Amino acid sequence: MARFLAVSNRKGGVGKSTIAVMLAHAAAAWSRQRVLVIDLDTQCNASLMLVGGLGWERAGRAGRTIADYFFDRFDKVAEDESAYVLKDVGDVAHARGAPGRLCLLPGSQRLEDLQGELLLRHSKKDLDADAIAVQVRGRMKRLIRHFGMDFDVVILDCPPGLSFAALAALDLADHVIVPFRPDFVSQFALDRVALLIERVETAEQLAGIAFSERRYSCLANYLSGTGHERLLIDQLALDHPLLAARIPRLESIARAFDWEETRQTMEQKYADAAPFLRALHDELLDVPQLRALSA
Amino acid sequence: MGKKTKALSGASQDAYFRRVLKTQLELKVEDRDRLVSKLREDIAQLRLRKHGSADAKPLPPPSAALPPPFDPFSPNVVVVVRTSGRDAALAALGGIDNAEHLRLLAREQRLTISSDSSSVEDLRAAIVTAAERRIANRFAAAG
Repeated sequence: MARFLAVSNRKGGVGKSTIAVMLAHAAAAWSRQRVLVIDLDTQCNASLMLVGGLGWERAGRAGRTIADYFFDRFDKVAEDESAYVLKDVGDVAHARGAPGRLCLLPGSQRLEDLQGELLLRHSKKDLDADAIAVQVRGRMKRLIRHFGMDFDVVILDCPPGLSFAALAALDLADHVIVPFRPDFVSQFALDRVALLIERVETAEQLAGIAFSERRYSCLANYLSGTGHERLLIDQLALDHPLLAARIPRLESIARAFDWEETRQTMEQKYADAAPFLRALHDELLDVPQLRALSA
Repeated sequence: MGKKTKALSGASQDAYFRRVLKTQLELKVEDRDRLVSKLREDIAQLRLRKHGSADAKPLPPPSAALPPPFDPFSPNVVVVVRTSGRDAALAALGGIDNAEHLRLLAREQRLTISSDSSSVEDLRAAIVTAAERRIANRFAAAG
C-alpha cells in the first residue's frame, strides 16, 4: 500500500504545489518510486507544472480529472481508477535518461462546484448537514485511498481552503508536509493547521502530543537568510516539528516550473536548488511514520 | 598634468601584490605566496591609482580593534520568555547596556515598546512585556 503524503497549509502562497511537485520528481527520479500526484487544488498549479497547459486542458476534455473521478465514481463501486491517471508526466528523467515513474490525477476548477452538487445529491436522504458532510468526506477519502494499490507514494496537493476534498486528504494522509514562509502571519497558519491535522481543539491539547507522535512536519520555504527569519523559525520550533531541510528562495526553483517537453535530470532541472531538494527527499523518507510504513 | 594611473605587469605587478598582502598580518607566508601566484595567473596587467605611497600602509587587521557588531536578533526574547520565563528574559537582556541597542533589538524582533521608555531598565522591562503580549496574541488566535 502506498504512503500518502499530503502537502497542506491553510495559508496561500507558501509553495505547496511547488513542494509537492519537487517531492514527486525527487521520489520518482532519485529513489525510483512509483509516484502519483493527486491535484486537489482548484488552481491546478501542480497539474500545470507536470503536464503543461495543453496537457491539462486535454485531460479536462477527456474527463480525466479529480472532479470527474469523484463525480463518476461517487455512488459506484470503485473500478478501473487508473483510467483517470495520466502516466509518465513531468519533465524529469532518471540519470540514465528513462522517464521517472510519475503519474498525475489532474486537478479541476470544477472541484469546488462538485462539492455542492454532491451535497445536494445526498440531501434527499434524511440526514442533517453535518452528517451529509461527513459522509461526502468519507466517500472522497475512500476514493482517494483506492490509488494506494498501484503506487509507492501518493502525494496529495491540497488547496488552501478547507474543502471536503482537502479534509479527506488530511484525514487520509500518513504524513502531512506543511510548507511555510517564515513571516508573522505564518505562525498563526501553522498553529491552526496543526490543530486540524492532529484533530485537537486547543494549543494545550496540541502541546500534549510529542513531536515524534505528530502526523505533520513543517518545512521552511522561500528563505532569504535574514535574522528575522531565524527568529521566527526558532519561535515556531517550540511548538511544531520542523524539518531540518530548508528551501531557500532561488531563481532556479522559479525557473524549474516552466514546464518543458524535453526531459532533464534532476540536477539539470533544479540546478543549485538540487542539493536542498536532495536533503528534503532524504529526510522525508526518514519521518518516523513513513519509516514504519515502509518497513 | 601627469597621468593619474600607472600600469604594472610581470615582476612589478607581483611585487605590488606581495607588498599589499604583506600588510595583512594574519596571512601566513605560504598563503600569501599562493595568492600572489593565483593573481599572477589571472591578471595580465594592473592599473594602479597614483596617490603617493599610501598603498603600502598597513591596513588594520580585521576584528582586532573593533568589537563584534551588535546582533539585534540575540537573545530571541520570545523564545526565552516561553522557555524560561520573564525573569530569565530580563537577565538575558541584562548584558545589553546601550539604550540604542535595546531599541534596535525591539524594532528588529517586532516587539513594540513605548517611546516613553528611556532608561535601559525601562527598555528591558518594556521589551519583555511586549514579548509576553506577542505570545498571548498568538495563542489567542490559535483557537
